[in-house]
Amino acid sequence: MNGVPLVAYLALGLFMFTTGVVGVVIRRNPIVIFMCIELMLNAVNLTFLAFARYQYTKLPVGDLQQQSSMMAGQMMVIFVMAVAAAEVAVGLGIIMAIFRLRQNIDIDEMNLLRG
Amino acid sequence: MESNSIWLVILLPILGFLFQALIGPRLGKGAGAKKTLGIAAVLPIALSFVVGLLITLNLAGRAPSDRSVVVAGPDWISVMGLRLPFEWVVDPLSMTMVLIITGIGALIHLYSTGYMAQERDYSRFFAYLNLFIAAMLILVLGNNLALLFIGWEGVGLCSYLLIGFWYKDVVNAKAANKAFIVNRIGDWSLMLGMFLIVALIATNTDRFAGDRYLSYDVMLPALQGILQDNPGMATAIALLLFGGAAGKSAQFPLYLWLPDAMAGPTPVSALIHAATMVTSGVVLLNRMHVVFEYSPLASAIICMIGAFTALFAALIAFGQTDIKKVLAYSTVSQLGFMFVACGAGAYWAGMFHVTTHAFFKALLFLGAGAVIHAMAHDQDMRNYGNLRKYMPITFGTMAVGWLAISGFPLLSGFFSKEAIIGSALASDHPTVQGMRFGQISGWVALGVAALTALYMTRLTCLTFFGKEERWRNIPATEETHDERHSLADSGTILNEDLSSPRYAAARELEEAEHPVVENVVETRTLPSVDPHGFFYKAGEEPHKEHEHHHALDQNHQPHEVPASMWIPLAVLAVLSLIGGYALETNHAFRHWLYPQELPVLGQVPAAYPNLLYLSLAAAIGGLVLGWLFYSRGLPKDQGHDESGWNPLRRAERDQFGYDGAATTLAVQGGGDLATALWQWFDRSVIDGIVNGSGLVARGAGMALRLLQTGVVRAYALMMLVGVVGILGYFFYAMTTGVGR
Amino acid sequence: MNQSLGGVTITPNLLLFGALGGAAAMAAVGVVAFNNAVRSALCLVLNFFLLAIVYFTLNAEMMGITQVVVYTGAIMVLFLFVIMLLNLGAPQLLRDREDPKRWLGLLLGFALFAIVAGQIFPSLLSHTNIGAVDGYGSPQAIGRTLFTQYVLPFEAVSILLLIGIVGSILLAKRRI
Repeated sequence: MNGVPLVAYLALGLFMFTTGVVGVVIRRNPIVIFMCIELMLNAVNLTFLAFARYQYTKLPVGDLQQQSSMMAGQMMVIFVMAVAAAEVAVGLGIIMAIFRLRQNIDIDEMNLLRG
Repeated sequence: MESNSIWLVILLPILGFLFQALIGPRLGKGAGAKKTLGIAAVLPIALSFVVGLLITLNLAGRAPSDRSVVVAGPDWISVMGLRLPFEWVVDPLSMTMVLIITGIGALIHLYSTGYMAQERDYSRFFAYLNLFIAAMLILVLGNNLALLFIGWEGVGLCSYLLIGFWYKDVVNAKAANKAFIVNRIGDWSLMLGMFLIVALIATNTDRFAGDRYLSYDVMLPALQGILQDNPGMATAIALLLFGGAAGKSAQFPLYLWLPDAMAGPTPVSALIHAATMVTSGVVLLNRMHVVFEYSPLASAIICMIGAFTALFAALIAFGQTDIKKVLAYSTVSQLGFMFVACGAGAYWAGMFHVTTHAFFKALLFLGAGAVIHAMAHDQDMRNYGNLRKYMPITFGTMAVGWLAISGFPLLSGFFSKEAIIGSALASDHPTVQGMRFGQISGWVALGVAALTALYMTRLTCLTFFGKEERWRNIPATEETHDERHSLADSGTILNEDLSSPRYAAARELEEAEHPVVENVVETRTLPSVDPHGFFYKAGEEPHKEHEHHHALDQNHQPHEVPASMWIPLAVLAVLSLIGGYALETNHAFRHWLYPQELPVLGQVPAAYPNLLYLSLAAAIGGLVLGWLFYSRGLPKDQGHDESGWNPLRRAERDQFGYDGAATTLAVQGGGDLATALWQWFDRSVIDGIVNGSGLVARGAGMALRLLQTGVVRAYALMMLVGVVGILGYFFYAMTTGVGR
Repeated sequence: MNQSLGGVTITPNLLLFGALGGAAAMAAVGVVAFNNAVRSALCLVLNFFLLAIVYFTLNAEMMGITQVVVYTGAIMVLFLFVIMLLNLGAPQLLRDREDPKRWLGLLLGFALFAIVAGQIFPSLLSHTNIGAVDGYGSPQAIGRTLFTQYVLPFEAVSILLLIGIVGSILLAKRRI
């Protein structure tokens, strides 16, 4: 929107990202961890779109490279969404499989890879 | 003859060596083969002598300033601006030495064909002997220090090979080792001296004419200018060069190999350890006399060490009963004289004594060899007596040698000793802080001259004079090798304590392989410490290989030696008689070697008031005293029963404890050092590092393993820590401009 | 009416964004803070919805629609299904226990925010220029770019989705 500084969007994105990071470290429920990961991905999406809109580059408007960087942000968002979707599907499938095996989805109990 | 023929002089002995080494063994062991080999051994040396003589005559025919010719050859080393070619210097000093080496060498080769006639390894002996002559020629003829060093090392090697010629007896092998190792210490000192010279060259290259920096004709004039500004360097170089000379020429404290070197065959002792190799030190000092002229301190030290060595060795000679040992210590003593002369600045007097000493000492050694040959290889003088009846020619020639070394007037030794003592007493050069060390060493030398006459008279009287033929007292018994080469005579070579812990492992191995059987009589108490048989046991009979001889007992009848042995004796006797007189007439020798004044010292006087009377008194006094003591045969208190000897004589027999101390220090000390290093350094430090690095790796791995808990959240936390850290660092760097 | 706050002029647009953004932030905190997983999921749904509206203010209309349809409509539904399935089996599992590592995580999160914010805020505070034209987020523009310049990543992502399908079916089967 006109009048809203770029920083505002970036600040929101940063806040969401940080919250997601804290959530991954703190929560023990793997499903909630996944949700925090989704939160982080969305923060990144927001950042991409913000930069795509505000074009924080030093190139003149109408330049070919500037045109392509204008659309590049949105392309990134599309792909991030697609990847996030695939990742959620597979990840939740893994959680279901583990639950079926162990009747327990506390992530701290899953430490078979320890050295 | 042209000076270029000097190549011939050097190549002939090398060809002789190659012939003896490669073709010699194929000729078989018969008498005909030995005749061929003998001729093939003597001929190259004799031819070298003839060529050398012709070159010398050519040289003598020129003007005195024209007598130095450099004969150049191909390059040996040419790197970084330093060129060391194969080049020979033909000048009076080198030709004098060439004549001595090849002349006396040829005589000794001839003598050896008779002395070693029953030797199985005939060709090997002459191969080594020819190789020695070649190496010595390279030493004296080389025109640069590197070639001198090649010759230096070569003669050391040949000395080792020849001393240990009968290597199957471990005593001889150890004597050869001792000679080589002690020589090596001297070589190290010589190398340091050469390195100092090179360092001087490197900082002063502009003073040199040309790029052959180590060649005498280029180096010595330049050194004059350099050392004038650097007297400290001159002293350092002089002392290091003298260290090398002390090793080769058996001065205190590096003399101790020479008596042990008598374990080699007598011709070897005559050639190497009397006439040629041991004089290399004096030759070196004569070549590099410029350095010594700039350093009164070093010259004083040389004088004093020479005088001390002369006195020390002369005293020890009184306590020796082995005829070769007396002559060995006599050599050490006479070498001390030569160094007194060189220290005093009268380098020509040193060379004069080299020449006359070569005559009479070679004569004495060859004569002693004849006596030993005649007395069934017994070297103990207490078993001789009245031999002049049986060996007249040997007696006649050895008497000339005896009188010559004692300084009897008009014989060769008289002139050379007078020159030395006179120059020492009159010289101002070795004066340090007002103390005239030249004078001190001169008086000491005079005293030693008297002592020389005394002990040589002792030797001659015990051997040739006296009515009693003391070997008749030995009952006719089985041949026992124990007395033949008694270890007590050979010094302290085999004195290790074989029951010490160091040999524990060897003893256990020996016991495991050869368990002790009861009822075996051990004739010697030394167990073998090499179970793999590198050395033959000293208890076996090592001499069966080389000669058969019967024991010395009361029925023994000594006889004169064959012609091949007494002809060299005669020639050398004639030289000893007239050589000194001939060379000293009109100071011919001095003008031959040093026609001009010395660069720094100018004319070194050789005259001293009443010098003639003093030296006559010393010589005649020594001769008369000796005659009084020994003309009636062996005195009662110097007999076979050594506990009856007086304490001074017993101390002299043991070299005043020096040899024992040095050997203990070196052998025991070296062993202890090696053991300590092994146990402490090798095991703790090196193994510690090697094993320790393994332990560290393992420990680190075990510590890092604990990080892998398997708890995913902990991993996530660690990742977060890392991310915050890296981001923090980057942003910090960006704001403060670090690494922008 | 247009005051300035720390160098930034206050406009109605800014206030609107402030409301949306604030609500989204609180929803994000809610995702992390609620112990109950269902509540976390519902907060996340709210967050995504608000985010879609923010995308609309950024003129990325197509992205906003896609956010609603894909994220809230598919992904969050999937989450809620799984939560429900697991809830049936063991209700007590979804409660978290006390954990000392929490505080370290919170501290680090705060540090991360502080570090990055310290970089962004001072230098970008004045930037309000809009470079892109209106209508750049329309489906036509996106479609044009996606199927010409970015066709290769598009194909790659389709393979990725195929793999995701196969993988999730395999994982969910009782017997392989």
